[in-house]
Amino acid sequence: MRPVGFSTTPNLVLRLPMWRSRLMLFLLFFVFMMLLLRAFWIQGPGNAFYEAKGVRGTQRELELPASRGKILDRNGQVIATSLEAKSVIAYNDTVPDDLAADKVQKLASLLQMNESELRKKLKEERKQVFLKRQVEPAVAQQIKQLEIPGIGLNNEYRRFYPEGEAMAHVVGFTNVNDKGQEGMELSRESELAGHPGQRRVVVDRLGRVVEEMAILQLPQNGKDLNLSIDSKIQFLAYNAVKDAVEKHHAKAGGAVVLDTQTGEILALANYPSYNPNDRRYLTGEQLRNRVLTDTFEPGSTMKPLTIAIALEKGAVKPDTNMVIGAKYLVGPKPITDTHPYGNLTVAQIIQKSSNIGTAKIAMNNLSAEEMWDFYTAVGLGQVPKIGFPGAVAGTVHPFKKWMPTDQARIAFGYGISASLFQVARAYTVFARDGELVPLTIERSPDFKPGTRVLSAKTAIEMRTMLETVTEPGGTATKAQAEGFRVGGKTGTAHKLVGKGYGNKYRAYFAGLAPISAPRIVVAVMIDEPTGGSHYGGDVAAPVFSTIVSETLNTLNVLPDNKVKQMVLQDKSPEEIRTANVQTQQVVLKR
Amino acid sequence: MNRATLTLLALLLICALSLVAAQQRARKLFIAQERAQIEERRLNQDWLRLEYEQRNLSKSARIRDVARNQLRMSPISPERTLYLKEAK
Repeated sequence: MRPVGFSTTPNLVLRLPMWRSRLMLFLLFFVFMMLLLRAFWIQGPGNAFYEAKGVRGTQRELELPASRGKILDRNGQVIATSLEAKSVIAYNDTVPDDLAADKVQKLASLLQMNESELRKKLKEERKQVFLKRQVEPAVAQQIKQLEIPGIGLNNEYRRFYPEGEAMAHVVGFTNVNDKGQEGMELSRESELAGHPGQRRVVVDRLGRVVEEMAILQLPQNGKDLNLSIDSKIQFLAYNAVKDAVEKHHAKAGGAVVLDTQTGEILALANYPSYNPNDRRYLTGEQLRNRVLTDTFEPGSTMKPLTIAIALEKGAVKPDTNMVIGAKYLVGPKPITDTHPYGNLTVAQIIQKSSNIGTAKIAMNNLSAEEMWDFYTAVGLGQVPKIGFPGAVAGTVHPFKKWMPTDQARIAFGYGISASLFQVARAYTVFARDGELVPLTIERSPDFKPGTRVLSAKTAIEMRTMLETVTEPGGTATKAQAEGFRVGGKTGTAHKLVGKGYGNKYRAYFAGLAPISAPRIVVAVMIDEPTGGSHYGGDVAAPVFSTIVSETLNTLNVLPDNKVKQMVLQDKSPEEIRTANVQTQQVVLKR
Repeated sequence: MNRATLTLLALLLICALSLVAAQQRARKLFIAQERAQIEERRLNQDWLRLEYEQRNLSKSARIRDVARNQLRMSPISPERTLYLKEAK
């Protein structure tokens, strides 16, 4: 056998076609070119995607929290404030299915939930489930310490109302998302609401913020709101109404206190009320702000307004004598009084609250247009502009539609409707010597100029007449307040039930005090009193009396009526003062 | 390599190191600031909470209750009040 050399294998002798190696070379070159191109693409034009990925790893956008503004009363006392709370969220794809039973139990007890209810929530299909909202920070801390994976805490706020029921209708409340739902919280939502900001930050491997890149939006805290309400007066007005409603087994009640000098609303109370901090069992009845949203026939509280027009015109004087009689026939049904009177002066018509007398004055001396003009000028039939949700206008039908029988009845308050608030506002005309004061619910303690609708002479005459209502012989002796001269007008209106007047009543009293220099106007309404008397003079007047004396004491108004002093006063105030000064000097000398 | 190059290299190194140090310092300060801001927020919240508690303790309903039931006080009335007028 011929030896075969190492370098001369027969395989090598095999000649392959040239194109195969060329193809191989080309393919290799092509693949490398592809890689190179891809590398260029990633570095150059196709970079954005990877850059974004990188940024996502190290940069975050975080919210800068902003809080809702506080609501304060006229003395700067807090009546609504936001405190930090946490919402507990379960990220259900992260929460382990085999979560230890004792942990679930602990979590359930911290959340005050049923264990089975909690388990059901943890098994829900949704990615995120709110387990509980507005959890107190201390409880939230304990939940955090349980260290359950997939249970997160989010910052939020919870609103608190320290005044509770007494202030509920004025302030209103917010929902879980911190949005106003009722009262001032709703009507001033845009000012109170805070607007959270946003910033971009760099975070490290562990998610800690290490650098701030930019503030995308500055957070804006909500503005604080200063109301004109005095929480002390509000509280005593609320309690006076509440006591009266309970005493007379009434359905509801309301009261409003106005400062005649500044036009500020000092109190606006409604009963029944609710606790805005706990609204689980809330009903529509409790929510109603009756003072502003309920209209009623103002009844006898209208008489001073009607008679003021006649006085202003010079058609009658307070001492003009009039024949009243037992009946007065205008239209199909005669007008009557509760007691028949023979002759009364105009002042006595107010004092005794005579329907016939008022109707006669209106029919003999006034045109429908004159009456309509005046009622409208004092704000009846128009929505009061105080920025309160749900405030109503009431109705004063156009005078061209009035039949004579309408005119006679409108004169003493039937056939038109108004809210208690509107009645109170109309009475500021008598308190302010003929000027109608613009009202406000925001604190503004300056004297406000009003719009003149009556002459000062008429207004003062009317005040004197209103005072006689509360004096012996008037319909509301129970309205007298200790130490203060008060004046006002009772009202007892039959409630419209269906198409006619049923056996239900509303009792009112609207008045002002002190008569010598009126500082406040107070209007009280008690709805459907049932136990015993239903007259304004018996039901609403005592509430007026309580509110007036306590409010004027709170406002440090000097009594303008004779008071029988019980304090032993053997020294005059001047002597007492000098005595004090002397003792002080003695102390200093030592 | 001549001397100039070496000096520049040394300078470059010093600059690079001080940049790192400055960065580190900036981050530390930033973290301190963050902490202070969180503390500020917490104190603010505390203040609001205390203000609320104070209001809760001083609200009219509670004062009336304490004055009437615990301190046995009665409301003022004009007949038992001595009014002093300011001298003009």
